[in-house]
Amino acid sequence: MPMKQKVALITGVTGQDGAYLAELLLGKGYRVHGIRRRASMFNTGRIDHLVHDPHEAGPRFELHYADLTDSTSLIRVIEQVQPDELYNLGAQSHVAVSFEEPEYTANTDALGALRLLEAIRILGLQKKTRFYQASTSELYGMVRETPQRESTPFYPRSPYGVAKLYAYWITVNYREAYDFYACNGILFNHESPLRGETFVTRKITRALARIRLGQQQFLHLGNLDARRDWGHARDYVEAQWLILQQDQPDDYVIATGQARSVREFVELAAARLGIRLSWQGEGPAEVGRVESCSGEEPALQHGRVIVRVDPRYFRPSEVETLLGDAGKARAKLGWSPRTRFEDLVQEMIDADFEAARRDSLVRSHGYSTPDHRE
Amino acid sequence: MRTALITGLTGQDGSLLARLLLDQGYRVVGAVRRSASANLWRLEELGIHSHERLSLKSFDLLDAERARRLIVDVHPDEVYNLAAQSSVGASFDEPMLTLQAVGAAPLHLLEAIRQTDPRIRFFQASSAEMFGLPRSAPQDEDTPLCPRTPYGVAKTYAHWMTLSYRATYGLFGCSAILYNHESSLRSREFVTRKITDSVAKIRLGKLDCLSLGRLDSRRDWGYAPDYVQAMHRMMQADASATYVLATGRATSIREFASIAFRAADIEVEFEGSGLNEIAVDRRSGRTVIRVDPALYRPVEAEQLIGNPARAQAALGWQPSVPLERICSEMVAADLRRNAAGASL
Repeated sequence: MPMKQKVALITGVTGQDGAYLAELLLGKGYRVHGIRRRASMFNTGRIDHLVHDPHEAGPRFELHYADLTDSTSLIRVIEQVQPDELYNLGAQSHVAVSFEEPEYTANTDALGALRLLEAIRILGLQKKTRFYQASTSELYGMVRETPQRESTPFYPRSPYGVAKLYAYWITVNYREAYDFYACNGILFNHESPLRGETFVTRKITRALARIRLGQQQFLHLGNLDARRDWGHARDYVEAQWLILQQDQPDDYVIATGQARSVREFVELAAARLGIRLSWQGEGPAEVGRVESCSGEEPALQHGRVIVRVDPRYFRPSEVETLLGDAGKARAKLGWSPRTRFEDLVQEMIDADFEAARRDSLVRSHGYSTPDHRE
Repeated sequence: MRTALITGLTGQDGSLLARLLLDQGYRVVGAVRRSASANLWRLEELGIHSHERLSLKSFDLLDAERARRLIVDVHPDEVYNLAAQSSVGASFDEPMLTLQAVGAAPLHLLEAIRQTDPRIRFFQASSAEMFGLPRSAPQDEDTPLCPRTPYGVAKTYAHWMTLSYRATYGLFGCSAILYNHESSLRSREFVTRKITDSVAKIRLGKLDCLSLGRLDSRRDWGYAPDYVQAMHRMMQADASATYVLATGRATSIREFASIAFRAADIEVEFEGSGLNEIAVDRRSGRTVIRVDPALYRPVEAEQLIGNPARAQAALGWQPSVPLERICSEMVAADLRRNAAGASL
């Protein structure tokens, strides 16, 4: 007899992880529901290909309007959907913005998680609905040990980290107090071509691609020596799913175990475009110059400055090297990252170069393309 | 003249701190929730409700704009954030309100201070509940936080926010990790005051029996007037820091109840175990304590004992009143109040 079709509900489905996770679950035969916020601009670009799949008999992917800051909207959708698995990926997920909007960050990231847990409790679904909370390596902030693992004490350094820490603990609390199947995945940075354009990796690949094609002058960055543990989002959503398939709920660190600097990321991405960089100066005065440039496109001039440091991008309080130890996930979930750092950078720069080429083509025929700025 | 703004002024710590600061010549502004039934009995008992240097301003903890206006209008030298939804038990029923009341208010105040005058000093009343279920005792400022109740999780949010504003913006932000601290001004929903009030009522023949949760639960109970003293001292230091305020000694609820009955001249004896445990008045043979599992917490924090060594070394502070005296002071106040007819 075929197994009953599982139902998943995803908050943050319009984001990077939501898109990859929805695709993964649809591939596993799930019926997938996503929560979207209303906006005056289309915000479903990452999942439109899932919504309009004409090969499926019935709609297996459905979007609902609701908001993490609106309890009753969440209760309504959860009641209607009756999910077997609820993935809370929605958040104000940008660390720098959290310093500007600390209260909104708390309302969405901290209270949002609580609203979902309370909705499950109010609806009496705690025996049915498994809950995944997207926790983050930002919880470790001012790191107490390296690498960081599940037992490492937290020390958040930003309103984002503090709000996410609340969500982490309230998830543990509902597991202990009410016997929820509720889990945290403590995910270290994970990137992809779908990463938001304001995150540093995507900002680098977009800017370099556009510089290479003469659409942009400079790439402005903050701390070039900040080190992060970067994995591929596609691998990480698989861990999210695995975490909810275990006999017992638990919390897991998901990471590659390798830290790379922003500088390394820039060099690798540039190299893929045929650009070799040389660095000059120090601190805010440091610049990256074109040492050599090859490839089909017109070469960038030798010695031209294309990377600059802008202190505005220094974080008010920078976290130190974040490096995760995913030993527990490897042992208990059988999970390990598949994508090498080099391949991640390549996939991202290729996608952004493709997009930039398309823009060049459009422009060369007299049409304009949007010039998104931060 | 120095000015202090206190949230939660009508509570136990707020009223005790207000008296301390008034005695030291401060102008004290209390930010209190407007209510049709004013809750000023503590200020009245302390005799400061009509003090010329004390004023009250309405403040709802959830109102960010009001927080900013208060900071601008009052322009205090020191802000003490003592207000909270402070019941651990209620936090399981009202987790949302608990986070908003406990977490949003300090955030609003810190933001207002940062944006208007970063010299204003900020005090956050943090809680030992942030340690949750510690594996070892005593706990100090370096013990990892593992909160296990919605109240504890919310207090952890406020604690980290205070530290975050200290690190990011250089604000003077103190966080005191307070262990239980009691006085006759404790509200009756807390177990100590519930015990002393019930003991007084039993002594006066107004109540037969007291129902309690887990009798084995142990707490590190200090004397609230000592603790507000420490709050004030850490706000006068050169640099802001985090301090554990505790006695370092834990006592079971069973023992506290015995002491309370003794203070009312009633000797009790415990019989049975677990849910069937009772306490009997030796003289009359009447049952005066029963166990009610409805009063058990979903998650119980055990082994909460604090090490106040840093406060001792840096602030010259130490707890001055032993539990027996705290307890007898509380029982005496409740005997007086109940004999007069009213107990708040």
